[in-house]
Amino acid sequence: MNLARDEASVDLERTLVEYLADRRMTRRALLSRIAAAGATVALAPILAACAAATPSGSPIRSATAAASAADGSPSMAASASPTPASSPEGELFIYNWADYLGDDVIPSFEKRYKVKVTQDFFDNYDTMRAKIGQNGGGYDIIFPSSVDVPAFVKRGLLQPLDQVLIPNKTNLGTEWQSPGYDTGNVYSMPYMWWTTGVAYDSAKVAEPLDSWDALWMDKYKGHIVVLDDVREAFAAALFRLGKSVNTTVDGDLDAAYRLLAQQKPLVRTYTTDDIGALSSGDAWICHAWGSDVHQVTDRPTVKFFIPREGGVRGSDTTTILASAAHPIAANLFINHLLDARVSAANTNKIGYMGPNAAAIPFIDPAILADPSVNPKRAVIDSLQELLDLGPDLDKYTTRWNRLRAGG
Amino acid sequence: MTELTEPPEVRAGLSTRAAGVVFLVPGLAWLAIFFVLPLGIILLVSLGHKDAFGGVLLDRLNLDNFSRALQPEFLPAFVNSLRYALLTTILALLLGYPVAYWISRYGGRRKTLLLILVMLPFWTSYLIRTYAWMIILRDNGVVNSILAAFGLTNQPIILLNTDFSVILGMTYGFMPFAILPLFVSIDRLDPNLVHASRDLYASGRAAFLHVTLPLTMPGITAAALLTFIPAIGDFVTPDLLGGAQTTTIAKIVQNLFLSSRDWPLGSALGFILMVVTVSLTLLALRTLRREVIG
Amino acid sequence: MTRERNRLLGLYSLAVYVFLFSPIAILILFSFNASKRNFAWQGFTLDWYPRLLADRAVLDAIGVTVQVAVVAVIASTVLGSLLGLGLARIRFRGSGAAETLLLLPMVTPEIVMGISLLLFFSQLFGSHGSIIQISIAHITFCVSYVAVVVRGRAAGMDPGLEEAARDLGASAVGAFWHVTLPLIAPAVAAGAMIAFALSFDDLVVTTFNAGVGSSTLPIFIYSRIRFGVTPEINAISAIIILVTSLAVGAAWRFGAFRGDIRTVAEE
Repeated sequence: MNLARDEASVDLERTLVEYLADRRMTRRALLSRIAAAGATVALAPILAACAAATPSGSPIRSATAAASAADGSPSMAASASPTPASSPEGELFIYNWADYLGDDVIPSFEKRYKVKVTQDFFDNYDTMRAKIGQNGGGYDIIFPSSVDVPAFVKRGLLQPLDQVLIPNKTNLGTEWQSPGYDTGNVYSMPYMWWTTGVAYDSAKVAEPLDSWDALWMDKYKGHIVVLDDVREAFAAALFRLGKSVNTTVDGDLDAAYRLLAQQKPLVRTYTTDDIGALSSGDAWICHAWGSDVHQVTDRPTVKFFIPREGGVRGSDTTTILASAAHPIAANLFINHLLDARVSAANTNKIGYMGPNAAAIPFIDPAILADPSVNPKRAVIDSLQELLDLGPDLDKYTTRWNRLRAGG
Repeated sequence: MTELTEPPEVRAGLSTRAAGVVFLVPGLAWLAIFFVLPLGIILLVSLGHKDAFGGVLLDRLNLDNFSRALQPEFLPAFVNSLRYALLTTILALLLGYPVAYWISRYGGRRKTLLLILVMLPFWTSYLIRTYAWMIILRDNGVVNSILAAFGLTNQPIILLNTDFSVILGMTYGFMPFAILPLFVSIDRLDPNLVHASRDLYASGRAAFLHVTLPLTMPGITAAALLTFIPAIGDFVTPDLLGGAQTTTIAKIVQNLFLSSRDWPLGSALGFILMVVTVSLTLLALRTLRREVIG
Repeated sequence: MTRERNRLLGLYSLAVYVFLFSPIAILILFSFNASKRNFAWQGFTLDWYPRLLADRAVLDAIGVTVQVAVVAVIASTVLGSLLGLGLARIRFRGSGAAETLLLLPMVTPEIVMGISLLLFFSQLFGSHGSIIQISIAHITFCVSYVAVVVRGRAAGMDPGLEEAARDLGASAVGAFWHVTLPLIAPAVAAGAMIAFALSFDDLVVTTFNAGVGSSTLPIFIYSRIRFGVTPEINAISAIIILVTSLAVGAAWRFGAFRGDIRTVAEE
């Protein structure tokens, strides 16, 4: 789709090119900065016209989208699917967890935009991170945990989203509109969130449990399972000590290490397969992710709780790799995921809550009523988020390896 | 006609040397390009240090990572790996040798079929086989259910996530790697040699110890290599079938690369593991050969 | 050997075969499990099989895996057999180093090999993963196994046999083809079988060298650990065993594998 250009806009174009070159910015980034800064609506169409060479949305549409974003009414944009100035590339490559999208999400996207989507799966999040860090695979979209987004950005692995192509972002609940790990949702959109707490088999454990101490109970030696995740394991110990789960104080971490060392002889195994451990019956008390417990259908006596000392709230995001070959399609797909019905379909399929306020009416009531997946507001507010620790992550990992390697 | 007048040693010598090049160069060249070179990159990484975000910096090359990798805190994991690999190798050889012998002596026309049958279970997904072992060994699994049904126990015996389940799983996984090379060597043993020794009044046991065993030494060596060496680096079996106490050094290397994002330290530890293993193996083989063959 | 010992040995071997196949029996049984998980028996169902055949992702993964395995097995068997033979028969100055080099790929932790190849290909060739890259990686770790097995067989093999053939007028290639090769054939076959098992089931090295759309079956299967390995995966393994058994059975019926493996030369 070519837009006719006249003299004036060509001059504007040249100025713009120089402006952008000086600041090493892409047009897309400039547009998103302006949109985020809430600049006058009048400016946006002009710049959009200048940026017509790069695919970022036709002038008229973007003005409408900007306007509806400005007045903040979610209902208008609940199901917006923008038509970009240049058509999306014919393909899209996604790297994701298996079974992490609703069944019709990709087919409906493919039909709407005539894009062929290839989705590959990884078995281990850290392996995915290691591979992506070396540009392995050649994907467009990945789903990093929120705690990793700042590091990915600093390493230059992600490209800013084209906010103009993602009008559905107004569907996000207010606390997700500009999360701490990515102000302004410049590089990422939230995908799913979850809680970490303790699950137990009420058929084997008679007493009522309400604390992280449950994972340290001598009488259940050999039947306790802990998550094989350095941050989560330390978080459990730090909660018992009343410290922040993001502490970098050596004294705190040494105390946590001592607790974990005390715990180790009681632990049956460290694993990320909490679903398996609980379903098989080998774990009577299990450090677990809430939404996973929801999936333990083979054993109805399993219960989940967030300990009184607090729990962890985690989330993951959708992002576009800087080396992505199909950025337009990628942005459109991210917008597609934020559609109210699509988001609800994802939640209904995988049993995790999304950040999408507009999706709530379409979510299975059984999921909404399950406190392990969808805890009450008061509980959510009491949860701590794991934050990116930068180089201080070393303090955790060296202690973790010492713990795991030790006899 | 002139060929036949040359002395046989010279002729054999030429063909041997030329054959040597033809035989060795392709394989060695492949390994040089696709194994040694990439490993060289890892060596470089091991001399660097990690940056703040999990990348690698190569500005100040030094040996720090090697001294860090040699810390005593990793020793128990290394001992675990050695223990498991050694036990697995011994068990696989002990359990596999009779089977290889039986297939060779009594397999007749069905020998190859029997060998393929040994291999067949391993042409399936490792993960599903391991899950099957978990189903067998779990607290509510097959073994415990049978024991309880016969009234032999009133509480499940903890079989999974123990040393026992790890060694069982590893031995199972390496059986074909032991049986096949053992068979290949046993099969070319001339049975007349054994008959001759029996004729000379050697007992069955002596015939085995002094004739069969030494002559099948190359097969035993191959089987031992094919079992012990990969077993040291096996981290999946101890991870899935093992528990909190069965951490191996391979798992630590894995952790260093993945969750610790410390590629330089992981590389250094990996190298140390490789060097120690190969040295130990070569040493053991030399000793073993000397003991058995004399 | 006495008849009792023979029977005892046979019974023992049977026990070992039972041991080897018991997880397979469980695996096949649970492919009919009416549960989404692989843990508790919840009832009988045939549903997983049609679901498997309709699952495009699995079929693609199987296709990639077979492609890679065929290439890897053929190449590594050829390279490895030559290597094993050469090392067994020829002594040269660097043979100690060559022997050590042979053992290194087997001892290298998978993650080290995977990441080293990823770095190698991405830094030197700008490649982001592909079926070719996976195949190269597989050949690299399979060669050693084949070489060790062939060397085990070739070691102590009398070079005089080949010399005798030359004396009788055979060319170098002819002597090799008609004397040496048949003598090491069982080892080559064993090496090939081992290489196939290694390639078919590799995860870590493959993951780091796979690109878009080149997922293998192990990648597909292991990715399901997170939310549950459904019995569909058991069905895959059951079908693979069925197909392999049928293929082997058919081959045997039509005369393959029969006859003594030993050649006339040894008798």
